[in-house]
Amino acid sequence: MTALLRVDNVDKIFSRRGKTAVEALRGINFSIEEGEFVSIVGASGSGKSTLLRIIDGLLEPTKGAVFVDDARVEKPGRDRAMVFQQDSLLPWKTVIENVAYGLTLAKSPWPQASKVAERFVAMTGLAGFESHYPHQLSGGMRQRVNVARALAVDPRILLLDEPFAALDAQTREIMQTELLKIWQESRKTVLLITHQIDEAVFLSDRVIIFSARPGTVREEIKIDLPRPRDLELKRTPEFVGLVDHIWKLIEAEVRLGVTASEG
Amino acid sequence: MRPIFDFLEQDTRLASLLRVLLSAICVLVLWQVVSLFVTNRLLLVPPADVAVALFHEIQNGDLWTNAVATVTAVVSSFLVSVAIGIVIGLALASSRLLSLTGGPVLSALNSVPIIALAPLFVAWLGLGFASKFVLVLMVAVFPVVVTTEAGLRAADKPLIEAARSFNATKLQIFTTVTFPYALPFIVSGVRVAWARALVGIVVAEFFGSFAGFGFAILSASQTFDTARVLGYVFVLGAMGLIGSVSFAALERHLAPWRQE
Ligand SMILES: Nc1ncnc2c1ncn2[C@@H]1O[C@H](COP(=O)(O)OP(=O)(O)OP(=O)(O)O)[C@@H](O)[C@H]1O
Ligand SMILES: [Mg+2]
Repeated sequence: MTALLRVDNVDKIFSRRGKTAVEALRGINFSIEEGEFVSIVGASGSGKSTLLRIIDGLLEPTKGAVFVDDARVEKPGRDRAMVFQQDSLLPWKTVIENVAYGLTLAKSPWPQASKVAERFVAMTGLAGFESHYPHQLSGGMRQRVNVARALAVDPRILLLDEPFAALDAQTREIMQTELLKIWQESRKTVLLITHQIDEAVFLSDRVIIFSARPGTVREEIKIDLPRPRDLELKRTPEFVGLVDHIWKLIEAEVRLGVTASEG
Repeated sequence: MRPIFDFLEQDTRLASLLRVLLSAICVLVLWQVVSLFVTNRLLLVPPADVAVALFHEIQNGDLWTNAVATVTAVVSSFLVSVAIGIVIGLALASSRLLSLTGGPVLSALNSVPIIALAPLFVAWLGLGFASKFVLVLMVAVFPVVVTTEAGLRAADKPLIEAARSFNATKLQIFTTVTFPYALPFIVSGVRVAWARALVGIVVAEFFGSFAGFGFAILSASQTFDTARVLGYVFVLGAMGLIGSVSFAALERHLAPWRQE
């Protein structure tokens, strides 16, 4: 069985004239099966967002390549959709228009686009807010719109870059369970980046641990916890053990990253 | 008194209108009182006299004649300035070569008081519409150019990246991200352009015309008719205020998210 997504020996070096080059990624190798939920955790600055941009086709790798179904990724495509780390909703468009944005860019006529968008608005719990503008929503609701916008183009692979980082702990937990529900309903392949180890363990089939800069794959850990999962799981000894294990693996790296960015 | 203050502080259209009216009335009353003590009518005329003078101008048809001359020139030139300003701003924002070569020239021109060239324009283009049109154009076009370029360049990087991630073409990025993002900037440039256009038209009419508000102000001041001077200044002030308020409202309408 060949993997749906394959990252093959990817290096990324940012070099600009007159500045010292930044080596963001070195020799990244991993693959993801269809329908799998995989997370990447790693210190700040370890190149996680950079890798996601390369997979999405927004950035070119310096070396190596990314394959989706054995086709080399050269630019963004309809088989992938990204939820960004930063707020990236169009402030002059309503919720429904934002969710339909990818569809309208693909020239889908408004009656169809809005019908599809409405479905995902409902799925992400935003029903009743269709004609609100992003600035009238809470942070959590804005992130739901972001997720809905990515889902609406019906991608095979959903790329999520710390989608819940800006949310408070309670909202984040609610969003995690909803993301699980959506994933189970839609059977998408998901690649999630997060700082929260417990979030990665809770959601994923597999967690990929990055080393500090330059980012390399430090270790891959299979999460064999039963599904469907609910928040109760977070209190079981198996869960706590896994989180602890991963934390120890990246502790040194995180500390390195923190001191590097402070110094 | 309390409930009246509370009412006036409200954020409604009626309350803000009343606030403006109230402060206008205060100014008029103060003005009237001061002019009871300053009796030199060359220096200061009471508002009542100004109103009478203005009414007289309406009756004898002069206000209308002057308004036609001024408004046709200033509005046509203002509209052309906005159109040209947006086109130049677009060109500058879309081409690095243009912005590197043309940008410095334009910002130099922008800081030169072009209004000082009014006598030259009159000498080149003669008295009347043409010289007014060109002078207004020269002073009003720059704020639009500058804000258009700045607005187009300011577009949020994450928004552009999101559009690219959905496979947007260059044209789609422009129409769905860059241009809507720049629009409120452009309108704020248009607002400044309107204020400048009014200054431009008055100066142009001072130097060379047979009709218009500037012409009327100049001829009234030559006969020491201060009431008539102030009457026309009042009309110009009203034009400026209406423009400024409506463009500010348009800006808010186009970018409500910037208010909160
Ligand atoms: N466009 C760019 N030009 C130059 N350097 C860049 C660029 N983008 C990222 N970098 C650098 O590459 C490194 C990795 O950045 P990246 O944003 O991928 O990290 P990250 O793991 O996502 O961090 P965080 O967890 O804080 O989001 C950083 O040192 C960053 O400064
Ligand atoms: Mg990141």
